[in-house]
Parts: sequence; C-alpha cells; structure tokens
Amino acid sequence: MNCEVCQLKELEVEHFEIREVLRCILHTIVFHRALGLVRPKDVDLELFEITYVQCGDVELEKKIDEKIDHFISWVEKHPNKKSQICLSFYEVKSKQPSWFTNKTERLYWEQWYINLNVTQHPKHHSSKSHHTKLVVDPGESATEERSSRRAMVEASLREVLFQIIKFVNEKKDHVPPISEGVIYFPYEITIPSSSDSAFGMDMIKRMLHSGHPTMLS
Amino acid sequence: MEMDRESGKLEQIVSQFRSKILHVILDSRVPSLHHHHHQQQQESLSHSRVRKTDKWFNLVLGDRPPALENLNFSLRNLFDPMVIDIILVHRGSCSSSVDNLYSPSAPAAGPADETVIERWVVQYDCPRFIATPSGADACVSYKKIYKKSIILLRSLYTQMRLLPAYRIFKQLSSLSQTYNFDLVYKVSSFSHPFSREEESGMKEYIFAPVEALSGCLSVSVTYRATLSDFNLEPLVSLPPKIITDYVGSPTTDPMRSFPSSDKGAHATSFPLRGARPPSSSPFQRPHSWSSGFHRGFLSTKTQSLAGSPPVYRTSPKPYDIASPPTDLYGNRIQNQRVSTLQQVTAYDEYKSSPPFSPSASPSTPSYLSGTNPLRTRHCSETAPVTIPLPLTGRSTRYLSPNSSDPSRHSLPPLSPRSSKHDASSQESPSGIRSYRKIEALRAGESPSGLSNNYSAQKVVRDSKDDSGRFSALLSSSGSPRIGFSRSSSRLSFQDDMDDCEFSCPFDVDDVDVSDSSSQNTEGKKASEFTAQSNLVGKKSQDAAVGILVHMLRTAPPLRQDSSCYSTHSLRTEYEGGVSIASGFFMPRKTADALEELNSYREMKDLLLSKSGTRVVRKEEIK
Repeated sequence: MNCEVCQLKELEVEHFEIREVLRCILHTIVFHRALGLVRPKDVDLELFEITYVQCGDVELEKKIDEKIDHFISWVEKHPNKKSQICLSFYEVKSKQPSWFTNKTERLYWEQWYINLNVTQHPKHHSSKSHHTKLVVDPGESATEERSSRRAMVEASLREVLFQIIKFVNEKKDHVPPISEGVIYFPYEITIPSSSDSAFGMDMIKRMLHSGHPTMLS
Repeated sequence: MEMDRESGKLEQIVSQFRSKILHVILDSRVPSLHHHHHQQQQESLSHSRVRKTDKWFNLVLGDRPPALENLNFSLRNLFDPMVIDIILVHRGSCSSSVDNLYSPSAPAAGPADETVIERWVVQYDCPRFIATPSGADACVSYKKIYKKSIILLRSLYTQMRLLPAYRIFKQLSSLSQTYNFDLVYKVSSFSHPFSREEESGMKEYIFAPVEALSGCLSVSVTYRATLSDFNLEPLVSLPPKIITDYVGSPTTDPMRSFPSSDKGAHATSFPLRGARPPSSSPFQRPHSWSSGFHRGFLSTKTQSLAGSPPVYRTSPKPYDIASPPTDLYGNRIQNQRVSTLQQVTAYDEYKSSPPFSPSASPSTPSYLSGTNPLRTRHCSETAPVTIPLPLTGRSTRYLSPNSSDPSRHSLPPLSPRSSKHDASSQESPSGIRSYRKIEALRAGESPSGLSNNYSAQKVVRDSKDDSGRFSALLSSSGSPRIGFSRSSSRLSFQDDMDDCEFSCPFDVDDVDVSDSSSQNTEGKKASEFTAQSNLVGKKSQDAAVGILVHMLRTAPPLRQDSSCYSTHSLRTEYEGGVSIASGFFMPRKTADALEELNSYREMKDLLLSKSGTRVVRKEEIK
C-alpha cells in the first residue's frame, strides 16, 4: 500500500490565529477520513468567514485540541519559526515480534503536512484565548493593514481547504477498507517537539515503522 | 442472475447517492428546507435516532425534505443527469421594502431577477463496454465504489460550505432579518446552457468521478465566483413591538375589557367587585377573548350588565367588603373556567355533530347562536314545544327515574336554580319546575318520579341530576325532536351550567328560548350573585341569601309567557314538599341557604373538574 503524502500550502499566521487555523485544517482532513457513521457538525470560525465541518466525535475533538495546545506551547518557546504539524493515518498490522519492533506495526497509508509560519512574537495570554491583545497602533493604516492581512490569511486558508478536497478526491485507492463500527481511521498528530533533533528522530522512527520513505519538505 | 444482482446493487448505490447529494445540496442552499430540517435534526439529536436514509454513505443528515421524495420519483432514470440549479431571486429594489416585508412572496413592484448562481450536475455515465466482474471481485468492487462514494460525498459536503453561495444561504437562514432576495432551487434532468455573459462570471469544479465497472459517477459544480454584483441587503424591519397587555399576562387583568368585534359583541369585565364599571378601553388588538366562542359568551355577560347597570353599580358594596383578594381570584378562576367550559362546550358540540336541525330560535341573538349553537339548537328543539323554556326539555330527562342515578353525571347542581327553588319565593323557579313537570308528563314520565324529585330538600339533587338526566332522558325518551347523543346532551347541560353561572335561575329557561338579552341580564346577575356567595363562604351565608333575594326583587320582570306559566305552575303544578309562595319572594330558611351554599360549591367543583378529572362528590348523591 502506498503512503500518500500531501504537503499543504504554507500559511502565514499570527499567534492568536493558530488555534482556529489548525482546528479548521485538522478537522477538515479527519472529516474526510472519518468514513464511519458520522453526524456532521458545522463550525463557523470566529476570525474568518469560513465554515468547516467536524465529524462530531467528542473524543476526537478533545485530542485535537490537546495537540493544538501542545503546539502553541512549543511555538511560544520557539517564536518566529516555521513549523510543521503532521497528521498521519495508519493501519495497525500485527507483526512477528522481534527485538527491534513491537508486536503491532503501524502502516502509515497517508500523511498530511500542515506548514505554518508563525510571524508574530506571542504575547502572554491564556492558552484558550483566541484574540491576543495586540499593541494598538494608532491610525487607520494599522487597522487597514490588519484587515487586509486578515483577508489574505482567510484566502490562504480557503485555498488550503480546497487543496485538501482536491487531494481527497484524487487519491482514493490507497484508503483502506472501512471497518465495521469504526468511525475514523487510526491517526496520529505529530507536532514539533522541544528540540529539532527530537523532531527529526520522530520522523526517523516513523520511517522505520512504516518502512517507506517519507517526503520531507 | 449474479450479474443482475450486481448491477442492481450498483444501481441502488447510484440512486441513493443521487438522493443523498440532493439532500446535502438542498439542506445547504434552500433556507426554507433547512429550517424544517434543522428542527427535525434537533429532535433527532435529542433522541439519538438514526434513520435508514442516514446510514447511506454514513452521513447522518436527518429527515429528507418531502420535496426530495417527489424529485427522486421524477428522476428515476439513473442515466439521466440530475441538474440542480440554485437560483438567487432578487426582488426589485424599487418596490417598497415594507411591502416586501408583509408580502415577501408577492411579486414586488419591481422585477424579480432570477440568477442561477450554482449548478450541480450529478451524472452516471454508462460506459460503452461493461465489464462484468466475478463474484468475489464484484463484492470488492461494490465496497470500493461505496467507499469512494462516501469520500466523494464528504468532499462535496465540505465544498458546499466553501462556495460563495453558502454565505448567502447563511444570511437567509438567519431569522433575525428579512432580505430582498431568496434562494430557490430547480431540479431537472437537463440543463439550460448559460449565456456567454453568465459563463464569464462562473467557475467550474469537477469532483473526481467514482469509476465503476458498469458506469462512472461524476459530480460537477458551476458556480458564480463572486456575488458582490447583487444588491443583497436586508429589508427594513419594523421595530419589535412589545405587547405587555396580552391575555394571560400576569399584569393584565384577565377580566379586562377588550374592544368590540364586528358583531357588536363586547368582552367586558365582569364587575364582581361591583365598583368597577365595564371598561370601555379602545380597541387595541384582537385577542383570544374577542374571538371565537368567548366573544359571544362574554357579550352575553356584557348585555346583561348593560341591561341593568344600576343594579351592579349600586349593589357591589357588600361585595367589595366581603371580597378579599382571594375572592377576586376565585372569581377570575370561576369566570375563566366558565369561559373555558363555554368554549369546550361549543367545540364539543361541533364535534358531536348532533343530528338535529340547527335552526336558530328567532329570539336568540346571532352571536349567541354562534357561540352556543347547541343551546340554540336545543332551543330550536324546544321551540316547537308550546312551553318555550328549554329547561323543560331538560327537566323531562331529569325527571326520568332512570336518570335519577347521580353517578351518571358528574356535574354539580344548578345552584341558582336550586336556590330559587329553595327560596320558594320566586315564581320563575317554580315555573321552571312546572315546565319540567309538564314536559315530564309529555314524555310520559310517572308523576311519582316528579313528586319525588320536586321535593324541596332534593332540589339541589334535582339540579345536579339535570346534567345526566338530560342526556338520559334524551336517549330514553326517544323523542324524535331530540336526536343528539348523550354526550352532546350532556354538553348542552354544560351549556346550561354556564348559563346558570351567569344567568338568573329563573332566566335559565328563558335564555335558551327567548331574548337572551333580557334573560342574560338577570342570569348574569344571578350568576354573579352565585359566584360571590360561593366564594364568600359560610360566614356570609346570610349575606349571600340577602343578596340573592335582593337581586330577585330588583330583577326586571320576565317574559309575559314565562310569567304566565310560572304563576300558573305555582298554583297548580307544583307538588311535593317545596313550599311555594304566591309571589316571587319567599322567606328563606337557613337550611335552604345551606343547600344553596352546597350547590354553589358543587358548581365550583364542576368548573374545576372541567380543567381536570371529574369530581363526583358523595354529597351530590343523595
């Protein structure tokens, strides 16, 4: 089985936009991979005029939010850095136990790379807050600049979502068969860890598990 | 055979896919259908119910709109494309926005522009060469096709929310404002080509087709890239008016008068307090009190009040003194219950649809006939009878020995009537009795029954028995002129009860037959007295008696016929232990007053029971 990889278009976001952007992208991807019985839930973004769809699973929503929190924490420690979040779908295959590998093996059949470029230095605020209190720049130019920038981010986000839809439509053969009672395929969200090296180690580990070369940006 | 089964499965997938896509599109583009579906979805979410249609493609969307079923039927041929046009209807801007507000569906003064802003095409193409898969392969094939269809549907669902038309849909779905545009849909099996101008502003997106061995399922959308060209603005909405004096408001007097209707009926406050004259507030808005049966019912009260304002206005002082706040509440309850009873009565009457002819008595006002048709009909039933008092009819039934079983009914006695009987100083009660007697004789009832029932001590029982016996007699007597069912007759008795509440005891019969205006005047007064005395309680028993006597004394004379009959009956027909005076006024005894009080209580129970279970007291059964 091939492991299809999709590199999403890089998004230039501000710190307070991370949560909404990531939620939108991650849930949109998972909705297309939650092929079990779902009750779709429309969610309107607060910062942008975009509506995305969740599969309605509470557990999934919680896990995604947790990962986003971890990512935001990492971004706060590593400001003004390009970062990448990897959403992988895998199959669990049993394998002969050996000293090197576990009994079960994860066969990654799809990987999504969400590329973010967090441009602004994060202000100290609660992790749940969406709207960071920015330094108020006097004058209309700052407001206009902010709104035009917001429109650009919205357009970029919309492009990313269209990209997801296009990818999902074009590549269907690699998707495993739907199991009875399973709502969504097993997934894994990988965020950059404390150090870059560790992040690299995660990639190497995945390569060992999947046995397929992983495309890096 | 296997091939047929396989192709049948595929057709089923394609057919359900088309239905599902249509459902998704209509639910995301047509506000009217969305509102209906959204409500259902809320219900289904609360019940966690997954319909069979929801399980298709593992996408729970809720109930399909009824229109969808019709559309599915009309587009049964799977190989015909299903073209769904989403049309933006823009009402002309030159028309008044206020007009559009009140008649949004009516054609506006300006032209209504219709623009196709989205066109979805679902097509199932049959390839030239159909490869027939073998058994196992076919199964795998359908699973794959089904899985791919699920993915396609998911992407379509997401795409629907990213296209420009979704924003308009959200605007229209918002119930807070009205707009000068609307989104409608059109489903057909062919598509009108766009003009060059239209095409220039449109983009196309083709979803990756789901290829099957026997066909190829494809979905494409052509949509307007931008909708800023349209003047999509909300209409001027009227500021919300907060109505504080609605019926039922805790701050509004439930007996507050409301303006008259076209029939001239007035809903007037029932001045049980006495000091408050019927209010004449200007007409503000229609309300439940002034519509339907209440109108006529209340109007009768009004007329009665109007008929004798001095009586009400001068007499209330004892009421005021003896009417604590609870009194007023009790009065309200009573009146409301009576009104409800009246309404229920009238409605039930229509339900039971008695077979008698609904010819109205000439003396009955139109509104009254409208509100209490049964009673009117009952009047008409009794019209042919020489004695024009409807109670006579009832009394015959009442007099039937078969109907003497108190358990047959649950209605309290007609206490005002009984009070009149008890007072024995009133001609009309005796007159009523006389009517009963006469009717009983006519119906062929045994005089012994009459005598037993006419005993003074059993007057209350008599009144109570009227309810059930009325119906019983109706059914047992077999009188051709009375053909309605027992239930309806019982309801007619309820009518009488209502009348009794608001009519003088001696006017009950007259209300049914003769001019209700004059009758109701006395009747209302009597009922008022009745209600008052009931609420006051034992302590003011004597006061209640005095009030009743005073009312009877000051009551205008009855109709000529009635009075003639009553006097006649007084002298000749009355039997039993009831002492009858030669005139209208008779001395009351304490026992009689007690009887009256009990009857008032029973009447109150009756009204209470109308709102809930029936209350049958043992006290009634004696």
